[in-house]
Amino acid sequence: VSTTDEMSAIPATPKLHRTRAERRAAARSARRLNESNLTAYLMIAPMVVLLGIFVIWPLLYSFYLSTFRISFYKGAQWVGLDFYRYVLDDPRFWHSLRVGIFYALMVVPIQLLLAYLLASLIKFSSSRMAAFLKVTVYIPAVVSSVIAATVFIFMYQDQGIANWVLSWFGAKPVAWLNDPQIVLPAIAAPGIWLGFGIATLIMLAALLDIPESYYESANLDGANFFQTTIYITIPLLRNVFVFLIITGFVLTIQEFLLPLIMTGGGPVDRSNTPNLYIFNSFRDTTPYATSFSLAASLLLFFVLGAISLVIFKAVSSVKAVDG
Amino acid sequence: MQPRLHLRIATTTLGLLVGASILFPIAWMAIAGFKGRTEVLRTPFQFFPDTWNPHNYSAMLHDHQFVRAMIVTFIGAVLFTVASLFVNSMAAYAFARLDFRLKPFWWVFCIIPMFVPMMAILLTSFVVVAKLHMLNTMAVLVIPGVASALQMFFLRQFYLNYPASVEEAALIDGASRWQIFLRIYLPQSKAPFVVVGTASFLAFWNSYVWPVLTITDPNLTQIMQVLGNFRSDRGNDWGMLMAGSTLAALPTIILLLIFQRYIVNGVRISGMK
Repeated sequence: VSTTDEMSAIPATPKLHRTRAERRAAARSARRLNESNLTAYLMIAPMVVLLGIFVIWPLLYSFYLSTFRISFYKGAQWVGLDFYRYVLDDPRFWHSLRVGIFYALMVVPIQLLLAYLLASLIKFSSSRMAAFLKVTVYIPAVVSSVIAATVFIFMYQDQGIANWVLSWFGAKPVAWLNDPQIVLPAIAAPGIWLGFGIATLIMLAALLDIPESYYESANLDGANFFQTTIYITIPLLRNVFVFLIITGFVLTIQEFLLPLIMTGGGPVDRSNTPNLYIFNSFRDTTPYATSFSLAASLLLFFVLGAISLVIFKAVSSVKAVDG
Repeated sequence: MQPRLHLRIATTTLGLLVGASILFPIAWMAIAGFKGRTEVLRTPFQFFPDTWNPHNYSAMLHDHQFVRAMIVTFIGAVLFTVASLFVNSMAAYAFARLDFRLKPFWWVFCIIPMFVPMMAILLTSFVVVAKLHMLNTMAVLVIPGVASALQMFFLRQFYLNYPASVEEAALIDGASRWQIFLRIYLPQSKAPFVVVGTASFLAFWNSYVWPVLTITDPNLTQIMQVLGNFRSDRGNDWGMLMAGSTLAALPTIILLLIFQRYIVNGVRISGMK
């Protein structure tokens, strides 16, 4: 068997001298590959087709539409990336971004703190109490945002329970959802309530992964609770904290259902988060609003995607202290 | 032993207090459901109702619009859950166990949707389903969300950890990949199926924005639409609204309580930590 034959048949193969058995094995695996090609394609077909129609195509279509100026009178006119510049020049877009960042800065740290305290409590609880708390903590996570928003609107009524609690301290009633200074914290409360359960369970799994022997030897050396927390627990939970901060930030800055139902973005845009701003301009009837809001949503998608990608790369390259 | 006992009592008391405050919004919603129209927001403030009158609850359970929305949403959620388990697990098995041409390309294709925010495709998805004449059908509620990159990824992680030797033995015995998937992998998938299946059910039951955009037919109105539009449709009857919200939250909480063991552990097997 000449080697030139083989080379012409498989030009890309760097290995020139193959034994007969090897070639037979290659043919067999090629046949297997053909067979499994068909099976595999049939198996992924529903997934690929559905994602193609309902995610990938709409995404490309969004991008396509965002480069046109669509007018009722003149027909569509290609304007390239002009709308992206308009979005970046729009003070209301930047305002909504500030609102989203403030909202996330309220929700994420409080969620993390609560999750850490609760996970520690569950760790030190009896097994029955731990089982009870693990389920309890998850219950808010299964309740819908619509219901949570409704219950909190009810609690924020003038004669509602929030103002009753204030009255214990002799404080005057507050217009929770109508006061520009208070509206965002008032919306953050259900936001925190809905999300901290999952963070707690993730934190707990990480806490339980820290070997008990670390604490035992630290205790032998005379370390107290605060020292073990600062020198053992917190450093070993670093990656979990980073993970929860980033995913929490990317998720909460996109929140729009709670303000949509609770305030509609008001008063004076103080709870108009970026996605709510975009969602409301979808329904806007002014010309070009569609392309404008598509451009805004895609900009947000690129920025948030880039942030999470960069930070995830950074986290995974810096390995944690050996656990 | 004495300090240990004190610690135990302290953590138990603290645990009960913490549990009660976590559940407070739900309890407050359920209590308000028992209050009459005039007591629900009254000055002076009153914590418990004068009499525990289940009138609001029975009224909601006899309300045609509300009950129909509960039933229709439930049927849709079951269809959605079954379909998404099937589609996502099949793709997950193929990506975990089979070699095929252009696999890396299709893998990226199926994973990118995980990073696409709903808002970036909301408007154009609406255009797509409108062009497909799917508006105001059960199909528009069920089909677009069936394929989920996140769930496929989660199931693939599970299948990757499943011993390959079982599969090799079955292949030598002449089983096809389909038989292996249907007879070996599916029966072993109970735990991850409970986790992703519950997530699918909850996502469908709790969805609000998509039904608001695509459903105007009162026969297909979803439960969260009914609650979201309650105050504009029927005025500020808070006792009724709280009773309705409690009833609509019940199925999700019951689902959690039934499958709590799997779901709480699901956070661990997802490898997210």
